[in-house]
Amino acid sequence: MTDMPGPVSRLRYPLGWRVMDALERGAGILWPRALHRLTGWLLIAPALLLVAVLCLGLWRIAQGSLHVLDRATFLPAEAYTLENYRTVLDSATYLKIVWRSLSGAFLTVVFTLLLAFPYAYMLVRTPSPFVRKALLAVLFLPFFIGQVVRAYGWLIILGNSGVVNDALGLVGVTPMRLLFSFPTVVFGLVQYMLPFAVLLLAPALTAIPRETEIAAGSLGANWLQVLWHVTLPMARPGLVGAGLVVATLALTDFAMPAMLGGGSQDFIANAVYDQFFRTADQGLGSALALVLVALGSVLVGAVFAAFGAGTLAMGGKR
Amino acid sequence: MTSPSQKLVIWALVWFAILILTLPIVIVVAASVTSGNMIAFPPEGFSLKWYRKILEARELRQAFWRSLQVSAICVLVSVPVGTLAGIALTRYRLRFAAALQVYLLLPFTVPLIASGIGMMLVFGEWRILGQVWPVGIACAAINLPFIIWSVSSSAAALDRDLELAAQNCGAGPVATFLHVTLPAVMPGVITGGLLMFVLAMTEFLVSLLLTDARTVTLPVQVYNNIRSIITPDLAAVSTVFIIIAFAAVWLLDRLVGLDIFLKSK
Repeated sequence: MTDMPGPVSRLRYPLGWRVMDALERGAGILWPRALHRLTGWLLIAPALLLVAVLCLGLWRIAQGSLHVLDRATFLPAEAYTLENYRTVLDSATYLKIVWRSLSGAFLTVVFTLLLAFPYAYMLVRTPSPFVRKALLAVLFLPFFIGQVVRAYGWLIILGNSGVVNDALGLVGVTPMRLLFSFPTVVFGLVQYMLPFAVLLLAPALTAIPRETEIAAGSLGANWLQVLWHVTLPMARPGLVGAGLVVATLALTDFAMPAMLGGGSQDFIANAVYDQFFRTADQGLGSALALVLVALGSVLVGAVFAAFGAGTLAMGGKR
Repeated sequence: MTSPSQKLVIWALVWFAILILTLPIVIVVAASVTSGNMIAFPPEGFSLKWYRKILEARELRQAFWRSLQVSAICVLVSVPVGTLAGIALTRYRLRFAAALQVYLLLPFTVPLIASGIGMMLVFGEWRILGQVWPVGIACAAINLPFIIWSVSSSAAALDRDLELAAQNCGAGPVATFLHVTLPAVMPGVITGGLLMFVLAMTEFLVSLLLTDARTVTLPVQVYNNIRSIITPDLAAVSTVFIIIAFAAVWLLDRLVGLDIFLKSK
């Protein structure tokens, strides 16, 4: 043994270890053992703080909604009042916009799930890794491209002199006005929501053992019966999660109604935006925004209460 | 087991989904290389002149640069915050865990228009409106659930005994975190970070609310230009976004594999 005792072997003690020891000591001083049962809270605190900014914003909106616009000075009046909410609830225009948003969201959920379910099913069940990868890539591309560019693509395709009308013109059909209509907005929303829905559904479908379907089939069920009695019920958490996300995102969407609806198919978010930036009536805009928050929360709350958080739960198994 | 009619129905729906997912991408790329001055189909011939035009357009270049800054800030803020939160939610016993879940899902359940306008009012009060970095913070706040999901699904897969074993061998809390916990959740951190970067890059509504003429980001710039007139230069800009998306998908596949999203929880 040539190892010398004493100070020299202390030098051999690797630098990384010493840094780590210093870190441990520092951590021990900053966060003593007595506090260790609170470590979880320490780790989660920054996230709570970041979301707090959002809550503060909601609080400011709530405050703003209690002041009417003083038409003489164009500043919010001092007095507290519920007048803005009365205006929103009494107005036929806003009722129409709320109704349009709700029906749009509902139709979007139906069509999105109709397309997302077979897509997710194929993704999970296909034996070919290549098909699976291709399906995933096709799904992620639009997800990463963003709403504006996708809506722009639809403007080119569906415009009055767009691809569809050009193609129709070749076979002698007169150009149709496809843009700026309710079905087009819903169509755009379905396309926008599809990746979200598939990604939320796929884990739920992965959890269904193929054997249960095979068993049902070997007991004489045809594929529609298997789908109805086995697959769909077992996929319910995923369907709930996906439907919930799609419904809230569609109900509150701004870009698709703005770009594909061209101002004639406004959803609630567009009306809020107009109140803030066109009419400059912040109080009324705030009241509308809170109505939207309330609608969304009722939706989320009802589904949470009925089915639990579905696949939205964070933190996994405990 | 799979009957012909089942195959037919499933494939028909899947092909329709593929069509509507990819058609806008194909059309935008095709429109961006036209040599005509209008978007027309079939395209009038091949040219890259619209790319030259967007390279020369100063406002587009600046908007692109600002979008990069926003994404960078969003990643710098959200990755540490989201990683710690994801680990805390999975590996620590917290009281009121159910309430915490609902609270941390708020960015997802509160409508974006409300979050955006709320932050516009708050940032206006704090006198930080009209700068680029608050937009990055806002993007981090509204997309936070994405990275928490991503990290916590990795953290849930880590065996608790590994951490205990490390501590048994004499590792302190910091060493355990750095050598056991963090490497185990790394796939989730990378996935989440990439998601946050791209989502911030393409974020539209909140940026629209928080920016003014001097601080517009690229998606807002595209939106503003669309409102006036549709010309192929926007198709060229859009193609830039499409290239970024391709790069992101490729990276994601190389780093963690796209299949990670299919794992059941």
